[in-house]
Amino acid sequence: MNDIAVRVDGVSKSFRMYHERNQTIKAAIMRGRTSVHEDFWALNDVSFDVPVGSTFGLIGSNGSGKSTLLKCLANIYFPNKGTITHFGKMAAMLEVGSGFHSELSGRDNIFLNGSILGMSRKQIAAKFDEIVDFSGVEQFIDQPVKNYSSGMYVRLGFAIAINVDPDILVVDEVLAVGDAEFQAKCFQKFRDFKVEGKTVILVSHDTSTVRSLCDQAAWINKGSLMAVGEAAPTIQAYIDSVKGPSA
Amino acid sequence: MRYLKELLDSRELLANLTLREVRGKYKRTVFGQLWSLANPLALMLIYTFVFSLIFRIDPDVGDPSGLDNFALWLLCGLLPWTFLATVINLGVGSLVSNAGLIQKVYFNRIVLPLSLVGSAGYNWLFEMGVLVVALTVALAFGGGIMLQWVPLVVVAMAVFAVFGAGLALMLSIANVYFRDTQWFVTIVLQMWLYLSPVIYPSSMVSDVSEEIGGFFGGPISLADVYYLNPMVHFLDLFRNLLYDNRWPDVSTWLICLAWAVGVFIVGVFVFRRNERNLAETL
Repeated sequence: MNDIAVRVDGVSKSFRMYHERNQTIKAAIMRGRTSVHEDFWALNDVSFDVPVGSTFGLIGSNGSGKSTLLKCLANIYFPNKGTITHFGKMAAMLEVGSGFHSELSGRDNIFLNGSILGMSRKQIAAKFDEIVDFSGVEQFIDQPVKNYSSGMYVRLGFAIAINVDPDILVVDEVLAVGDAEFQAKCFQKFRDFKVEGKTVILVSHDTSTVRSLCDQAAWINKGSLMAVGEAAPTIQAYIDSVKGPSA
Repeated sequence: MRYLKELLDSRELLANLTLREVRGKYKRTVFGQLWSLANPLALMLIYTFVFSLIFRIDPDVGDPSGLDNFALWLLCGLLPWTFLATVINLGVGSLVSNAGLIQKVYFNRIVLPLSLVGSAGYNWLFEMGVLVVALTVALAFGGGIMLQWVPLVVVAMAVFAVFGAGLALMLSIANVYFRDTQWFVTIVLQMWLYLSPVIYPSSMVSDVSEEIGGFFGGPISLADVYYLNPMVHFLDLFRNLLYDNRWPDVSTWLICLAWAVGVFIVGVFVFRRNERNLAETL
């Protein structure tokens, strides 16, 4: 067995910064070009390994490239250079409730959203009660989701995503949703994941969350990897850099 | 081959997305699925009035079915046409309107345009079912039987749906890069309707073509150009089966099949080449 869950190897990702964007056929034909752009490197040669069974935090300031890396990990963006290898089934939670149809009931949406996240009908049926239970919307499960409060909506979405049952779970800062009770439930779920030997990759700029949950961390700044390894020293290095060494 | 397997793995997602469209479409309407019939019926009434009563277009009597009814003859071509128009109109925006989903979740993107073909196909199936009932009733007066042709009609519908899916795949990608596509498409669809033998029989074009002879005295006639339009052949196929109740020529089958498979392969190829960049480009 391999003890690496995800290998990020020399990943670089660039975006086009458009000075002029004329996405019309007229522009394409008349001027022989649709845009003028230069490349912006959001990620620059980032490499690290995520060990199996760890809770791995990705930290960095706004615009540091951590969300880009997250999207690369989730197969939504494809790096220009380098490779990302997953060892095991991966599920990403970048937004909860993606693909909900507001006119359909909570029940229908569980099946719809579950299949978008890659579950089969059988798997969803088996997990159905657990999902409903976790979300705490039993009473309203046959109501259209447009009548849900925003908290219920998010909780249902999160409950589905967490029950995809992946080997590797990639999570964006969606934890800032729901009330304190629900957040505690989520954190407990992550700890359960860890106990089961599953890997969680968490992206956040909230260092206290990362500190309490993660045992490994990577700090990204302006697209480059600054530090990776044990959570505590990595987070400390990040905090020091933000506050300045004197603080 | 690996792509085929991926596609097979996504079939449940495809089914669920199709169901989402089907269930969501007529939610909170009083008449529900009946609305699917409203558009073709309204078109049938107006076209029958204008083109049968005023312009005196008189398609050949169904051979051997003996049917002689403009409205039924029209619907045999109009229903496939409205299906294709729906697939193209909705398919063109299928990626752009699901931008949020594409940027947040990884899944096989091809299911987005294909699910629209599925939901449009579901409505089409319903409309064709009603048409078959109407034809059965009309034929019963002449002692004919419709039902034996139904399996072949279903095959023809599947071939036509593959053709529509190929177009939807290409256009959905084109629309991501050029939002002009969706506006362009509405114009093209309008022209295509009148350039296809939906409201007049293709034999009228052949007659005119013979009258004027080849272009500039050359060997290429109007009919030769006209028959390049795949819709001519598809509509022949449907009218032969539904209205005339006879086997279409083998050549008609083959031309339709070739168009469907060709367009679909190009569609899948175009889609495959661009699907990785969708999240960024949208």
